[in-house]
Amino acid sequence: MKMHLLRSAFLALVMLAAQPAQAQAPRPLVWGDTLPATLDPHAIFDVPSQFVLLNVYDGLYRYQGNPPRLEAWLAESHTVSADGLTWDFTLRAGVKFHDGSAMTAEDVVYSFRRLLTMNRGPSAAFTPVLTPDRVTATGPLTVRFVLSSPYSPFLTAMPLVAIVNPRAIAPNVVNNDWGAAWLAVNSAGSGAYSVLPGNYQPRISLDIQRFPDFFRGWAGNPRPVETVRARPVMETSTRVLALLRGEIDATDSYLPTDQVERVERNPRTRVARDESMRVFVIRMNNMRSPFNNRDARLCLTHAFNYEGFNNVILRGFVVRNGGPNPNNLWGNPPDLVPYAFDLTRARAHCDAARAAGVDLSRPLEIHVQNELEQTVQAAQMYQADLRRLGITLRIVPNTWPGITSSTTRSETTPDMWIHWVSTYFVDPENWVGQMYDSQFHGTWKASSWYSNPEVDRLLRAARTSLNREERQRLYADATRRVVADAPDIWVYNTVNLRGLSRRIEGYTFSPVGSGGEIRLMSLAE
Amino acid sequence: MLAYIARRIALALPALFGLVVLTFILSRVIPGDPAATLAGDAATPAQIADIRARYGLDRPIMEQAWVHMRQVLSGDLGNSIFSGRPVSEDIARRLPATLELTFVALLLATCLGIPLGLLAALNHNGPIDHLVRVLSVGGLAMASFWLAIMLQLQFSMEWDLLPLRGRMDVPLGLPPRVTGFLLIDSLLAGRGDMFVDAARHLVLPAVTLALPGLATIARFTRSGVLEALQKDYVLYARAAGYGRFRLATVYVLRNAITVTVTQIGLLFGALISGAVAIEAVFDWPGLGTYAVQAILSADYKALLAVTLVVGVIYAAVNVLVDVAQALIDPRVALQ
Repeated sequence: MKMHLLRSAFLALVMLAAQPAQAQAPRPLVWGDTLPATLDPHAIFDVPSQFVLLNVYDGLYRYQGNPPRLEAWLAESHTVSADGLTWDFTLRAGVKFHDGSAMTAEDVVYSFRRLLTMNRGPSAAFTPVLTPDRVTATGPLTVRFVLSSPYSPFLTAMPLVAIVNPRAIAPNVVNNDWGAAWLAVNSAGSGAYSVLPGNYQPRISLDIQRFPDFFRGWAGNPRPVETVRARPVMETSTRVLALLRGEIDATDSYLPTDQVERVERNPRTRVARDESMRVFVIRMNNMRSPFNNRDARLCLTHAFNYEGFNNVILRGFVVRNGGPNPNNLWGNPPDLVPYAFDLTRARAHCDAARAAGVDLSRPLEIHVQNELEQTVQAAQMYQADLRRLGITLRIVPNTWPGITSSTTRSETTPDMWIHWVSTYFVDPENWVGQMYDSQFHGTWKASSWYSNPEVDRLLRAARTSLNREERQRLYADATRRVVADAPDIWVYNTVNLRGLSRRIEGYTFSPVGSGGEIRLMSLAE
Repeated sequence: MLAYIARRIALALPALFGLVVLTFILSRVIPGDPAATLAGDAATPAQIADIRARYGLDRPIMEQAWVHMRQVLSGDLGNSIFSGRPVSEDIARRLPATLELTFVALLLATCLGIPLGLLAALNHNGPIDHLVRVLSVGGLAMASFWLAIMLQLQFSMEWDLLPLRGRMDVPLGLPPRVTGFLLIDSLLAGRGDMFVDAARHLVLPAVTLALPGLATIARFTRSGVLEALQKDYVLYARAAGYGRFRLATVYVLRNAITVTVTQIGLLFGALISGAVAIEAVFDWPGLGTYAVQAILSADYKALLAVTLVVGVIYAAVNVLVDVAQALIDPRVALQ
């Protein structure tokens, strides 16, 4: 009896330790990046939703490459009237949705009306200048947009909008919800991949399969990935271990810098390093003392150890960025000289501020995003250096929703807080335009509450001009003025670090979507 | 006994009511505007205000609380403010993963904790007793996320014996969903390979989760047995010539275990809430990771629902513990 029990226990242990037979079969591509909370491309706009937008849906235009260039996608071409108000788009013929039906101008009109009426996600880029009734089909394959005022970033924001299939959505509309409940867990796109029905679990898993009738064809990739299983890994250490062990083929694109060597040492994995367009910035509430004084701001600007943070803590996996725009963006003045860490100059500016009656004795608060370690590290380093100037900095743990919701009023906006400005659309409007034009006060992007009438004038002129050279000059001028006023502390432009299995070939990075476009990839045999 | 059970259930109801009210108030005073989160990164103040009005977030807090109470009483947990999906659907999908992990961890803790506690008491101040005491103090003191990472490094990365994360190997897929418990569903589907894979995935998170519980159960069992061993009936039984094993398991343990059973009940609730860290490290798609995501995205509807569900489970387990105690020791019911 005893022998029997022992034998059973031993067999059970062997079974538990044994690899399942199926593990020997070829593995599909397992994508370990974060998934969005909903699949509806009109309901949400954040970094994770780009994966769905780029792989399952198409827009009229799309960003490709790095630095990103705007390519006609579902549209073939466009024209714009001399006053910058009327935009006509000619659509590509022969585009099929995943259900096999052909895309028409009416589908584009439906998509924009759905977006603008639901008034969520990326609609904010359009609602100031566009209403649903001003989007019309002028032919089977031509669409007209009539703006209420000239807005030159209109075209650059086009890739934000997914064109959806109304024929797939219509049977699933409940209480005039534009099919929102249904589209949150299903798809109605024309993209290179379609969602495997019933397989999606919000933020846990998403399986997509190749769409053979994708309108751009597959000739450019002879061995496309057939099936992708997106399985986000929540914890950073587990994500790295899972990559090293071969359980996932790609991490997110924010691999901690202290893990880069470890991933590169493993013969099965590598790290893709690509300069992105994502600026790390320490905000200051310019409406509150001492930040309403330029000398005080310059004191704080010179007190941050850029070299130490970028090259020691982040091991040089970032690029020093001296202004609000990413270095590699058009419209950013190439002659911009970044502020340097210089405690002597900082002390001189502090003294000047004190002489002007500014009180620097009160403890300043800096809000960090607790789950994002870099924000905490930057604050801790800054705290130590400010102490040498006799300034007390209190670090307040917070979350992204907690901080952004407090920035709607200057009274509730923190003294200082740390975040990144990512690439929502590739235009200086996304950075300097929306961060420092006072008309955006109340949004998190303009949360330094900076106000300079001349900068406002330049940015508004740049927003309405259709001449690229003129816009470039206006944005550069505005940027120089903003940097001279030092309303915030700009630290670095991100180098995206994505851990990849060496099985993946053809990985191509673009700051929009962070290299998550699967149609360009193949798996090594 | 039925009157006793009814009384225990009646006592749990006000506690649940208090939980609903308290969590609602807490969820609405913590920082973070769900409307701003829902509106997205590029939203304007006007857009945020529109969403706030659409979801009733601009109403007085008492009015919002009343609407929430009405919803809960009608069995509607509302929609996630972030994904727009019914929260009950999300929870129904996630809860079995947490319960499966918790049950297995509790089973491990109980099956190992009680014998260890008994063994330690019977070897009072001996080497085994010292060893169990050291282990139980260590088990309680060790940070679970640290232990989780250490186990991952050793058993997954170094020895390649057990999976690192998740509930099932990705290429294997999942068995057809019947109960949501993968151990059961894979057996129902007749998939032995899936059962083995699910069991392998359970080992590391369950051991990590079980360890503090095991330590608690061992300590309570040990002290309960030590106390019982001092009683007159034990002296009498010894004098009557009862064997050491029979005396310990049949007489002493039954009298000593009442406190342990209470602890097991309390542990169940603690394990569910403790699963948050474990689920995050092992990428376990349960209620804990759902709660963390709800907190980070200020999805207060989801957070309220999770708290309520955990509260109901906690209350139900407490009632069961009371009943179990009454069955073990009938004097409890009479009191």
